[in-house]
Order: sequence, then C-alpha cells, then structure tokens
Amino acid sequence: MISLLSKFLVSGWVCCFLSLFVVTVNADETVKSAATVEENSAQWQQTLKAAQGQSVYFYAWGGSKAVNEYLRWATREIAQQYRIKLIHVKVTDPSEPVSRLKAEDGRTSAIDLMWVNGENFAYLKQQGFLLGNLWSTIPNAAFLATERLPITIDFGEPMDGFEVPWGIGQFNLIAEYEAFQQPQVSATSLLSIAKKKPQTITYPRPPEFHGTTFLKQLLVDLTDADPRLYQLATTKAQVQLLPALWQYLDQLHPYLWQQGTAFPSSAAEQLLMYQQKSLSMTVSFNPNQWLKEKSTQQISESSVRRYFIDGAITNSHNLAIPKSAPSPDAAKVVINFMLSESAQQEKFTGVWGDPSVIIPLFDEKATIPAHPELHSSWHVLIEDAWQQQYGG
Amino acid sequence: MAAAIRRIGLASGWLLVSLISVLPIIGVLVGLWPPEHITFADIESFLGYQGLSTSVFMTLFSAIFSTLLSLYIAFMVYSQYHLSRRLQSLEKYLAPLLSLPHLAIALGLVFLFSDGSVFFVDSGLPRKGLSTLILAIVIKEVPFFLLIFSAIGRQLPIKYWLLQGNALGYQDYRCWWLLVFPALLKQSRLALLAATAYTLSVVDVSLLVGPNIPELFAVSVYRWQTSFANGDQALAFLANALLLILLALSVCILYAHEKLAYAACQSLATQGSRFYIGIINPVFKAWLPMLGILTAMMVVVFALWSFGFNLHRVSFNSFNNFNSFNSFDGFTATQLSTRLWQDEWLFFALPLQNSLLIGLLAGMFGVALALLALELQRQKGKYWPDYYWLLAIILPQLSMVLGWQILHIWLQGGYHSGWVIVSHLPFTFAYAYLVLKGPFQSVEPRYELLATSFGYSSWQSWWQVRFRLLLPAIFTAFAIAFSVSIAQYIPTLMMGAGRVTTITTEAVAIASGSQQDLIALYVLLQSILPFMAFFLAAILARRFRGSMGRQRYEKE
Repeated sequence: MISLLSKFLVSGWVCCFLSLFVVTVNADETVKSAATVEENSAQWQQTLKAAQGQSVYFYAWGGSKAVNEYLRWATREIAQQYRIKLIHVKVTDPSEPVSRLKAEDGRTSAIDLMWVNGENFAYLKQQGFLLGNLWSTIPNAAFLATERLPITIDFGEPMDGFEVPWGIGQFNLIAEYEAFQQPQVSATSLLSIAKKKPQTITYPRPPEFHGTTFLKQLLVDLTDADPRLYQLATTKAQVQLLPALWQYLDQLHPYLWQQGTAFPSSAAEQLLMYQQKSLSMTVSFNPNQWLKEKSTQQISESSVRRYFIDGAITNSHNLAIPKSAPSPDAAKVVINFMLSESAQQEKFTGVWGDPSVIIPLFDEKATIPAHPELHSSWHVLIEDAWQQQYGG
Repeated sequence: MAAAIRRIGLASGWLLVSLISVLPIIGVLVGLWPPEHITFADIESFLGYQGLSTSVFMTLFSAIFSTLLSLYIAFMVYSQYHLSRRLQSLEKYLAPLLSLPHLAIALGLVFLFSDGSVFFVDSGLPRKGLSTLILAIVIKEVPFFLLIFSAIGRQLPIKYWLLQGNALGYQDYRCWWLLVFPALLKQSRLALLAATAYTLSVVDVSLLVGPNIPELFAVSVYRWQTSFANGDQALAFLANALLLILLALSVCILYAHEKLAYAACQSLATQGSRFYIGIINPVFKAWLPMLGILTAMMVVVFALWSFGFNLHRVSFNSFNNFNSFNSFDGFTATQLSTRLWQDEWLFFALPLQNSLLIGLLAGMFGVALALLALELQRQKGKYWPDYYWLLAIILPQLSMVLGWQILHIWLQGGYHSGWVIVSHLPFTFAYAYLVLKGPFQSVEPRYELLATSFGYSSWQSWWQVRFRLLLPAIFTAFAIAFSVSIAQYIPTLMMGAGRVTTITTEAVAIASGSQQDLIALYVLLQSILPFMAFFLAAILARRFRGSMGRQRYEKE
C-alpha cells in the first residue's frame, strides 16, 4: 500500500486524500465495532437524569477570548437545556490538569472534563487515568466525520474511546498580502520572501507546538512527503531525511526576525507581534482565525491566510473525562451537547470559527486541504535535533 | 498558674510559627520526590542539553546583577529623597509602580519601546534579550527596595549620623555611603535574597522578554516539569536540583557581596580616601519622576487598549515602499468604547471580590505570624538564620506547590478559599517578615523599659509601645503581603481547583493569549487592589510615624 502510495507523492492533493483514507480504514473497525447508544435509549435517558443538578468542572486553556466567549455561550445553553452547571477552569497550560491527575493518582478528581490532545493524551491513556467507551456511550459521537477528517488517531495514539474529537486544527499562516501573494507557501517561496523582507518572518521557538509543526511542514515539502515520515522513524530514515531541513534552516535563519537569535515564545506572542506590524506573518492552527481576527479589527484588512503547498497538517483537539471524575454523567451530557449540531454550528459561525467535526455540518469550505500528521516519533526527534542545532 | 499559661502560650506560638515556616520544605520534599528511577543516562542527557551552561550562567548573572543594580539605584534615590519634605509622600508615589505586576511592566516596556511600538521609534531595546529582562526587573525592584529602605529608615537615627558625619567634615553623600549604607545593607539582606530568588525562577517575564537562544534556565525547568513526554520528568527532577544549587549559590554570593561592601566602606572610612560619587546625584533625583512618567505612560496605554483603541497603520501606496516593510504612510485609530468593560463586568466582579477577601485574610495572618516569629525569637534572645524564614520565597515554587497539592488531595479537605488562604500564608508571612525584621530589631528597647517601669505589664508595654512604634512598618508589611497574596497564581489554581477564582487566575490565563484589549483590561484590574493597599498604607504610615519620624519632620 505504502509503496503504491509513494508513486503519487508528487501531487500533494492526491497524497493527502489517500493517506487520510489509510488512517480511516484502520480506525473504522474500532469505531463501528462498538455501536453508539441512541439519544432516546433508556441508557441515555438515565444518564441525562443522573446528570441533572450536577456541576462540571471543565479544565481548558483560558487564553483565547473567542474560546472563552464560546464557553460562556455553552454554559448558558447547558444550564437551560440540561440543568447542568458548566464551569470553565481557565488554565494557562494544558499540562495543568495532567499534573493534577497525576497528583490525585486515582482519588476522586477535581476535574470532570478536560481539553486535551497529543502527548498529554498519550500519557493519560497509558497511565489509565481516563474514562473509556466515550464513543459508544455518547449518542452524538455517531455523527463524527471520521471518514472525512483524521480524527480517530491523536498523534499516533489511537483514541480508542478515551477522548472525543471536539474540533479541528489545521496549520496555516496569517500573513500580509503584500509579502505573501501566492495562495500557497513552499520552502522555496518562503526563503525568497524572507530574503525580500528580512526580519519579518519567524516561527515560535520549538518545542512550542506551532513551531514544531512549522518545521514539520517544511520537512514534508523538502522531502517531497517521503512516506517514511509517516512511519516510526528509523535511524536510516533520520540520516537521509533530516539534513535537508537543517540545510534549509541554515539558509533561512539569517533572514529571520532578529536573525534567528531569538524566537517568539508562543503563537500567541507571535500574533501580538504581527498585530504590531513587527512581522509579516504569524502561525495558527485555526483555519478561520484570520477571518475572525479581521472582523474584530485585531489584524489589518490586508491580512490573508496561506497554507503549505502539500496541504495543512491537520489534527484534532479533543475532550476527555478522567476515570475518577465526580460527575462523569454530566460530563458526558456536556460532550454530547458539544457535538450537537447547534453547538458545532455556533463554534464555527460564532466568534471562534473552529471547523465542525460532525457529518451533518461538514463543509469543504470550512477547512483547507489536509495533510496527515507525521508519525509521532518524528515530533520528538525534530524538537531534540533543533535544540541541538539552533537552541543553544 | 500564670507561668504555666505563659509556657503554653509560648509553646503554641512556636508550634504555629514552625508549622508555617516548615511548610515550604515539606512541599519541596513531597513535590520533588523523584518521579521515576533516575538513571545515569538521564543525567547524561541533562548535562548534554545544548546551551545548558550558557543558560545557567545567564540566569544567575541576570538575577544577581539586576538585584545589585536595583539596590544601588534605590540607595542613591533614597539618599536624595530622605532629607526632603517629599520623602513623606515618597511611598505614595511608589504605590502605582509597586502595584503593577512584573509581567505588566515587561509588557509595557515591550509595547512602549521595542520595534513596532506605539511611538514608532527604535529605542535599541531588543524585544527579547538579557538587557530588556534586566531593565524590566530593575524598574520593578527599585521601588520595592525604596519601600523597604523607607520602612527600615524610620527606625534608624539617620539624621544624627549625618549630623555627626558633617561635624567631622564629611560631605553629605560621603556620610550616606560610609555611615548609612552599611546599616541599610545589613537590614535589607532579606529583600535582596527575595529579589534574587524571584529573578532566578521567574517564568512569565522570562518567556516574554528574556532571551531564548538558549532560553533562561527557569523556562527550561518549567517546560520539563509540565511535560509528560518520555524522560522529561526525570530531566525536571535534575533541573530542579540544579535550581536549588543555584539558589544556594546566589545566597552565598549575596552574603559575600555584603561582606565586601562592608569592608570597602570601612577601608574608605579609615583610610580617608576620596571618592566623588556625589557628582552623579542629580541623575537619581530625576529617577522617581522619570519612573512616574513611565508608569503613567504604561497605564495610559493599557487603559486605551482596554477601551478598544488600536492603531492600524495603512500604507496608502504600497508601491512606493515596496522594499521596506516598516515604512508606512499613515495610520488610523479605531473608535474608543467601553463595551469590553461592560461585557466583562459580570465576569470579573466575583474574582475581584475573592481576591480582596483572600488577600485581606492572608495578609493579616501573614503579618501577625511574622510579628509572632520575631517576638518569640527576641524573647529567646537568638535569631534564626534569615534564609530559613524566607524559604517560601527562595525555594522553587512549582515543585513546592505540587507537594502541597499532593498533601491537600491526601487530606481530602475539599476545595474552598480556606485552603487557598493557607497556601498563600507562607508567602505573605515571608514577605511580612522581610519587611518587619529590620524595623523590629531597631526599636529602642529603652522605650519598653520605661513603660515597664511605669507599671505596665510586659504584654501592655509590647502592645502600647513596641506595636505602636512599629505601626508604619506594619502598614507597609501588610500592603506588600496583601499584594503578594493577590499575585499568587499557582497556589490559587492548585489549591482552589477552579472552585476559587481570583482576578489573578483570570488575568494570567488571559495573558497566555493574544487579545491585547482583554490583556490590558485584566492588567489594570489586577493592579487596582494592590494600588489601593499601597496608597492607604502610605497615608496611614504617615499618620503613625515611627520612633525617629517626629524629630525629623519638625526640623524641616
């Protein structure tokens, strides 16, 4: 299959479509094997009843005004429809709930629901801290667009019902039209823009998540999406593939902001610098953020969205319930609401602009052409090697 | 009978004080306990981390340098103001600057002076770099040291020292350096320790304005500690151990500096050699007004943003300046509105109220416990080493609070403001102690002796004389303890588990994003309560002057 695939790798479009298919074929079995409970079944009615009057403490990043406002809206709706009190515990770092669960070590948790993905999810799943069977016990999980989006595997770790996709992240650039006139960006075009407008291009310092993804996008382009990037990284593959990235960065860094002697600490900081016009581009995982920021006049009218030529690396952000959560029923009702048409619609059209993950609302126009995540082993490798080459 | 009660009272006092002061050690021990087996390979990969030595050196340098620089600037400023009538309102001037959180100062600097700033001028200040970090820390620490000096100075007969010095033919500035500086330095040792420890382990300011190739050590520690990828927890353990060593090292450096400075003053005084530091005095006279203007500018910028002000520079003809991105022909400003304040009002009223309540209680208990600790030591006639009382400030906060979190979960005490207050106590206690120690020790014992000879009981003479004399310092200590409690993020989140939200848990979460207007609004909100505390303390301290204040005031 993989060798067959590699013949088509020249075209990014074909590549991303097919490899999405590969992902979903494997995962489909796990999804379909457990039939999802129905909305009007006795089991769900019982869950709804048990959930009434309970409080759900939802640990979620609190740095985004758009997300905070969306959660305020959800809190009102959930209180009205289900008599459940949703409380957004604003954290600065997604690892805060993880270290709490570790400290609690199985005792009754202070957390009912959490926003999670990536290595935090992998750790929690391995440690057995998460409640399972979410996909089969939450009615609206049946509508997840698993065949259209890569939302059954989280950075190489199968979800297996321990978390439920809530929204989609697609790596893109928000940029000044004047500098980025082509709709797509490649490693070559980025270098020529950097030369033409020195000091206005940069990326968040890896291991910050956006920064590492930026490097992954470059690597995909520089190696023509070598199929080995989607498998466990062997030593041979590393030696053959990674040097292209370092050679490229050696050329690029002298033209970066502060000549690559300093980097923004986060995507949020880079966006602030972009707003202040110190930069001509910033990075984002929300494919519609540029529109929302424009509509609230946070960024200039001449801002455009750009994505890498092989397609945007796409992943999901998810909801999970700790095994020791005090009100798991209410947390399930909240997840069910979050996956409802009205909530997913509001998430996309409201202030946030995060694309929907359910079939009834799936819209090609809401997303950009997708490219699958690299195998998770590459993630750590790229971070460590970057630190070794440029971090000290 | 009375003796028995007294013994019980003393014993329970000691118990209470030791409990609070031992909490940080317990926290660190529990929180730092090796998460997994540490292997030799872990140590190897830690030592092999690219840029580790540079990062450690930069961190240690910035901590020591910014603290000492702040100390000397603050002393120069203090010597300029001490004799003037304006000293009386010095603390009032300091209030706004003291109440802005460190992160706000760094943000303000970045937005006022770095490239793309409001003024469109290139001040040469890098957006990220050691110089910017040190500047931000110095701006914030100088007022803190001034406040400490002012609390200490009230109990010292500086006026008479200067008179004696003048009578011997020394100019004013020389008297300041040779007579006053050694005394002030000794008494402000705790404040120096606190400032250094803060800079060594500060994460948010380092992330915003610190250099990051390589990144500062505190940032690496934080990153490892909050990462659960394979092997990172082992790195976090080793890094925390190194951080403890760095803290111990900086304590030693500060002690060494004190000894050196002392010896230098002594040799200058005995050898009668001349130095002409007095020439640069006017610079320091201008320091406070300059800082005042800077603070005002920052507050104005924050306020404008929170009202939705936003500059949109537009290039009218992009072909003319195709080659230079930064040259724009003009800009437009958006309309000001109070919409954001109205929208957020519903959501910040309760956190503000929680902050006030927690800050008042944690501040009051902290000051009371600090007084208790000082009095118990005075009765015993022996003072414990300073760093012991300051452990809450010196030890790495994240590991310490993680330990408390584990204990708290183990106790199953539930989540409410009571626990949050308890978790703030070690910090408010430590800061209150560092403000009060100097003044407490300098209270003239003969006043109490006199009171006792008039037939007051020892308790009465303590309350009527010592406590009264200390009142100005107590107000200052309370204002600092209160603002320290307001600023706590990690303990509040970890003990309150989202059940107790304060203005700081909201503000810190918001600051991790990129919404300028909202960040500005919460920075202002976060500064309001400390500002009121400092302002009130300054007014009250003036009303209840210390033992040396009256004569000084009348002379003028």
